[in-house]
Amino acid sequence: MPQLDTSTWFITILSMIITLFFMFQLKVAKYNFPENPEPKPMPMSKSTTPWEKKWTKIYSPLSLPLQ
Amino acid sequence: MNENLFSSFITPTMMGLPIVIAITMFPSIMFPSPNRLINNRLISIQQWLVQLTSKQMLSIHNQKGQTWALMLMSLILFIGSTNLLGLLPHSFTPTTQLSLNLGMAIPLWAGTVITGFRHKTKASLAHFLPQGTPLPLIPMLVVIETISLFIQPMALAVRLTANITAGHLLIHLIGGATLALMSISTITAMVTFTILILLTILEFAVALIQAYVFTLLVSLYLHDNT
Repeated sequence: MPQLDTSTWFITILSMIITLFFMFQLKVAKYNFPENPEPKPMPMSKSTTPWEKKWTKIYSPLSLPLQ
Repeated sequence: MNENLFSSFITPTMMGLPIVIAITMFPSIMFPSPNRLINNRLISIQQWLVQLTSKQMLSIHNQKGQTWALMLMSLILFIGSTNLLGLLPHSFTPTTQLSLNLGMAIPLWAGTVITGFRHKTKASLAHFLPQGTPLPLIPMLVVIETISLFIQPMALAVRLTANITAGHLLIHLIGGATLALMSISTITAMVTFTILILLTILEFAVALIQAYVFTLLVSLYLHDNT
């Protein structure tokens, strides 16, 4: 039975190791399985600047002193 | 007749060059690597199949076992593609070589056993003695469990070799019989041809099933040991 001829065993095992452990794994490692796209929950709050915490009439643009 | 029948299982060399290297590496060409965000249909289909298979196969494992995902997926792709390509006429199937299957089975099995010893030493040693055995039977049972452990890689390798070799031999024999019968009686040749068709369908199934069984058993040994 030719499978039991051990003279070729080294080269067969070597070629298998190269194929299985290098070539196939390098290819399969590049597969990526992204999640399904969905909208990201964004925070709705907008931080207020110090002068906007309290609105007073004097900040209205038309009431500011003319430049 | 003997020489002729087994001649397709000789490791192929062409004028002294071992082209078995090229033949073993050939199936990896059938799986192009994805380089873009949206790939072509072939790569997408292969990626989808790999995702399907890996989800099914890795669902039984814990965190530690799932680090073997890449190894198991490339194993099933290698064995499946090699077996399927071997069904083409006059091709050489590397998985018919006992050397290749031993070279796959022994390191993978040893990897699972060593992983078990490193991480769960007591539990993996406890596998040698099933629970609730009566005291006088213990030595004999330990011997039996050791033998059954060490036979696992041999069984993996020989199972794959024997299945694929036997299938290929049957196809050769029945094909030769069909050819010889055509000049004698066409009706019998048609019957034999139908048998050949059925056998080829079986061999397609066997090619895939053997890949699956090999990978499943390796993953089972892994599950025992992580």
